[in-house]
Amino acid sequence: MSTILDIRNLTIELETSAGTVKVLDKVSLQLAEGEIHTLVGESGSGKSLLAKAIMGFINPRWKITADRLWWRHYDLLSLNPAQRRLVTGRDMAMIFQNPGSYLDPNTKIGDQIRETIPKADLKGIYLRRKASRTVRAERLLHRVGIKDHQKVMESYPYQLSEGVAQKVSIAMAIAHNPKLLIADEPTTAMEPNTRNQIYRLLAKLSAGQGMSILMVTQDLTSIVPESQRMSLVYCGQLMESGATEQILSTPMHPYTQAMLQMSFFDQGIAPKTRLPTLTGAIPTLQHMPIGCRLGPRCPNARRDCIHQPRLTKFKQREFACHFPIREVKSHD
Amino acid sequence: MIRYSLRRVVLLIITLWLLTLLLFSLNYWYPGNPLTNMSGITADNLIAYQQAELARGFDQGLLSQYLKFLQHLINGDWGISLVTEQPVFDEIKPLLGATLELGLLAMALALFLGIPLGVYAAIQQRGLLDRIIMGLSLSAYSIPVFWLAQLFILLFALKLNWSPISGQINPLYAIDVQTGSVLVDILMSDSPYKTAAFYNALHHLWVPVVVLAIMPLTMLIRIMRNSVLDVLQQNYIKAARARGLNDRHIMFRHTLPNALQPIVRQLGLQFSVLMTNIIITEVIFNWPGVGSWLVKSIYERDFPVIQAGLLVLASLILLVNVFVDVIHAWRYPQIRKEIDAE
Repeated sequence: MSTILDIRNLTIELETSAGTVKVLDKVSLQLAEGEIHTLVGESGSGKSLLAKAIMGFINPRWKITADRLWWRHYDLLSLNPAQRRLVTGRDMAMIFQNPGSYLDPNTKIGDQIRETIPKADLKGIYLRRKASRTVRAERLLHRVGIKDHQKVMESYPYQLSEGVAQKVSIAMAIAHNPKLLIADEPTTAMEPNTRNQIYRLLAKLSAGQGMSILMVTQDLTSIVPESQRMSLVYCGQLMESGATEQILSTPMHPYTQAMLQMSFFDQGIAPKTRLPTLTGAIPTLQHMPIGCRLGPRCPNARRDCIHQPRLTKFKQREFACHFPIREVKSHD
Repeated sequence: MIRYSLRRVVLLIITLWLLTLLLFSLNYWYPGNPLTNMSGITADNLIAYQQAELARGFDQGLLSQYLKFLQHLINGDWGISLVTEQPVFDEIKPLLGATLELGLLAMALALFLGIPLGVYAAIQQRGLLDRIIMGLSLSAYSIPVFWLAQLFILLFALKLNWSPISGQINPLYAIDVQTGSVLVDILMSDSPYKTAAFYNALHHLWVPVVVLAIMPLTMLIRIMRNSVLDVLQQNYIKAARARGLNDRHIMFRHTLPNALQPIVRQLGLQFSVLMTNIIITEVIFNWPGVGSWLVKSIYERDFPVIQAGLLVLASLILLVNVFVDVIHAWRYPQIRKEIDAE
């Protein structure tokens, strides 16, 4: 599989009243064609920021630097905004949490789906184009598992449940067959049933047409089984990255291990004992520790941790830690 | 939607009914004879007075007097003026035309200029033009209309001589009053000097229209600017951009329709403000409309006329408000959810 998204040492700096803060600090991420990649991070970890930086939803006050931010053969950072929008608009799509707020409240769903269908896909003159737009919109709705297309197309966003609204968002996102879909916590605040439907749908779309998906989530419990690779970020720094199964079974980074213990703790735990957690709390933007930002909370932290660890590569996985849980046996 | 419209109409009817109660009671609270206040017929004309006493139920109790009052109101028999001794209802029709002409043109002008200027200011946010537009609109907003009208007369009529001081049209053109709206009357007339008359009327018309339009214009600019800025921040606009839709399409299909929502909601309120200003403007420009007629009747203690003027202006404001509410709910369906409390 070939890499289509290649990010090396992406840094986003933000001007605040307390000086410049690096909200993303040298994050690297590679995404292969047709792969589902899960990006896990707690709130404030900068995971949504990373997604926005890829999509080009950039606030002019941010300072973005990277050794490499490549999408296929485009260097996204060197494109001007118009060219970039052309590329991202054609190749990428994004879905969000609170899908309802991403739909125009005063336009019928049908009209909103119809307008996302690219002109190039339509044949014939005005009236035939209009009819074929409707047919294609209906087909899109069927593909995301909405059977009652008539009713949904005639509805306004406020009349839809969040689950259906998310399906509509997905339908609009896949209208122009994007190569990459970024799903930014698409199922937060949804019922488990709806959540599973959405995840199954995304996995099916990825498998069916080779679409890569970058799935941004808060916790390890919502990783879909189809996810091939995953990355963990904490406070804007990449902690660990690699094949999903490997990371979940043999974590290298203390943070990954802590997250695993928090998410899948032993059910037979004795009553009234402390649940496994990291000590302390997530630092605020103004008070980021130097070096490895996990430092003050890390059970393995030692003196060296005031220097930011470099990414260690080993057997197709990467982690950034001076003192990993397991010995790295073979360097290559 | 139909249910909502019906509910608004029922509310309108109830409000109008309360209005008639107020108007009816006013006749008893004014000084003088209630029957004279109501019908404009004085006891000097004994035969007519006695007929009116019977017709208006003054030989019976208060309830039947009120019912007879309503009956007269609905039949268009609104009494005669104490001053001109003409039927009030016939007098008011052309006056209403003149007032509506002034009001609608001013509102149209305000919308026509205010919406684009507001949008422009929002797009150029914090730019030079934005500052100029917002600064001017704030200063214009703080000028009361009676002073502005005088300033305009001083500048455009007296100094620059661009327009007459007051009035609707030069009486030389001898246009028959039919609807009261001078432009419509000219178009309907068969005067040989139609075109010249039309230009003359426009000459008279533009200053009061501009004076009236300025207050709603400044409001519309400010509301529109804030509303566009607000909509541009919304997720659905960002999502539309991310989908690669072009800027023009987003502006005309998503930003503007949503940004216009507070404007539609404000229109009814703005119309009420406009009506207050119209009364002052008509007096200053000697415009033969309901407003100046009402003010004159107050000076002359012409009670049947006061009654009719109040009724017409109040009903007009109520009607416009209900109309705007229905349009709003029809065009912006998501507010129906709030209304129905679903």
